[in-house]
Amino acid sequence: MADSPFTPEQEARFDAAFSEAVSSFPPERSMAALLPALHAAQAELGWLPNPALLYVASRLKLFPTRVREVASFYTLFHLEPVGKNHLQICTNLSCALRGGEDLVARACERLGVKPHQVTPDGKFSVEAVSCLASCGTAPVMQVNDRRYDEKLDPEKLLKLIAELGADGAR
Amino acid sequence: MAETKLLSKHWDEADSYLLSGYERVGGYQQVKKALQMKPEDIVAEVTKSNLRGRGGAGFPTGLKWTFVRKEKATPKYLVINADEGEPGTFKDRYCLELDPHRFIEGCVIGAWALDCHAVYVYCRGEFQPGAITRLKGAIAEAKAKGYLGKSVFGSGYEVEMYVHRGAGAYICGEESALLESLEGKKGYPRIKPPFPANAGLFGKPTAVNNVETMSNIPTIIELGAEAYAKVGCDKNGGTRLFTVSGHVEKPGVYEAPMGTTFRELIYDLCGGIAGGRQLKAIIPGGSSSAVLSADQVDLKSDFDSLKAAKTMAGSGGVIVLDDTVDMAWALYNVTKFYAHESCGQCTPCREGTGWAARLLRKILDGNGAKSDIDLVYGIARQGEQRTICALFDGAAMPLKSYIEKFRGDFEKHVRN
Repeated sequence: MADSPFTPEQEARFDAAFSEAVSSFPPERSMAALLPALHAAQAELGWLPNPALLYVASRLKLFPTRVREVASFYTLFHLEPVGKNHLQICTNLSCALRGGEDLVARACERLGVKPHQVTPDGKFSVEAVSCLASCGTAPVMQVNDRRYDEKLDPEKLLKLIAELGADGAR
Repeated sequence: MAETKLLSKHWDEADSYLLSGYERVGGYQQVKKALQMKPEDIVAEVTKSNLRGRGGAGFPTGLKWTFVRKEKATPKYLVINADEGEPGTFKDRYCLELDPHRFIEGCVIGAWALDCHAVYVYCRGEFQPGAITRLKGAIAEAKAKGYLGKSVFGSGYEVEMYVHRGAGAYICGEESALLESLEGKKGYPRIKPPFPANAGLFGKPTAVNNVETMSNIPTIIELGAEAYAKVGCDKNGGTRLFTVSGHVEKPGVYEAPMGTTFRELIYDLCGGIAGGRQLKAIIPGGSSSAVLSADQVDLKSDFDSLKAAKTMAGSGGVIVLDDTVDMAWALYNVTKFYAHESCGQCTPCREGTGWAARLLRKILDGNGAKSDIDLVYGIARQGEQRTICALFDGAAMPLKSYIEKFRGDFEKHVRN
């Protein structure tokens, strides 16, 4: 068994989510719990450092390469750290028609980062993402997996960044 | 025309997502009726209703269920595709956030009709703060009441419902990629046949149905198949949740009969083009559908009418573009999405989508030649129908149609 990357409190929460996921599938199909297990690990650590991947692999009796293959396929799994406030701004057509691409540029400019870079204080990162299924209230942004902010404009975005920065959320 | 609200009739009530809110408007009465019916009679009723899959393909739901019922292997599974990610589409999110119990009721009826006991809802990962939280809450409420669990409504029939969170991959909306992902793998589409109805989740017979499709099931039982079919048009039963975005005065979700024309949608329901500008183009069914020009605004929006017009009704995601839009820019935006979301399994898609996007960027930057426009068109022609799944076809339809219908927008960027 690989060493746990969690504190005891984190371990308890991970265990609860892990057991629930495993029990939702037939006993011989525990591998199906891989995505839920990765989500649970990331919920504790904010991203998926290598020890977390190794730990999930050993809990599900999978080869570590298999876990990395899956984790690297999906955009919501972060193999590099992201900001405490990871600003995910949609740039697909409906949002782009209403300024989504400009919002990415404004956020990066305000925070002094390029997409996927984290600010030195660890508070922010920015990513242009695919459709968030909120096209009727475009342009839209998701912050980590906590909230949707809809019908944004540059002014609202900059105000929100100021609020989130002061808050030191999470 | 006005909306025809069957699914969305109590969405604007504050407690529409709670069990109490749903029961107040007659919720969970249809499943009680359905549990008294023979499963094959429910499938026959759904077949007669002309319900077509609302995820994009428009496959007759009753026929899909007939295939699953014919299979002998057990257990059988009902898997719900809640991986809504087609740009321009946001109805399933509304169904789950505002009316999750109607969806659950539909799933219990479906599980009974298909002789299965486990329903997996594969929900896109981004829906965590909204739809997933609401759906999990609704499942817990239903379970506590005995509407889900070991003996639903005291019938002795077991139905368990599980929410499975995806992790950000458009390709997982393709049903066989969804099944792979649900099994804990990366989302690579499977070669078909076998189809999921024959060998789906864990190799067992599986019905994969869309959220909106399942939310229609209680209504079909309530109204009866014939009355439900009559709401729509020929071979397209019921209403559809159209999601209209882009340059209209009032974007949003609008429920209207199958076959409603785009003129009715845009001008009657959405208040016309924003700022009083002129209509230039309509994307009729999500960004992978072939674009329509303004003079096609009177087309009907049902699956068969749009197929005849060489495009598709798809997911019902209507994106409206006004006369300020440069279609070369729009096509670059759309193509970049498909290049990003290609899973990389098939060469024509992995290479073709990225190549087309790079050429379009070059054209937009003023560095293209006329031959580059033809090259983009050629990439689409050469890749379509040559891949395992329909993602490349979804990129090819816009590539071909934007160039065919709006070639001038491309030519103005290139040197001769």
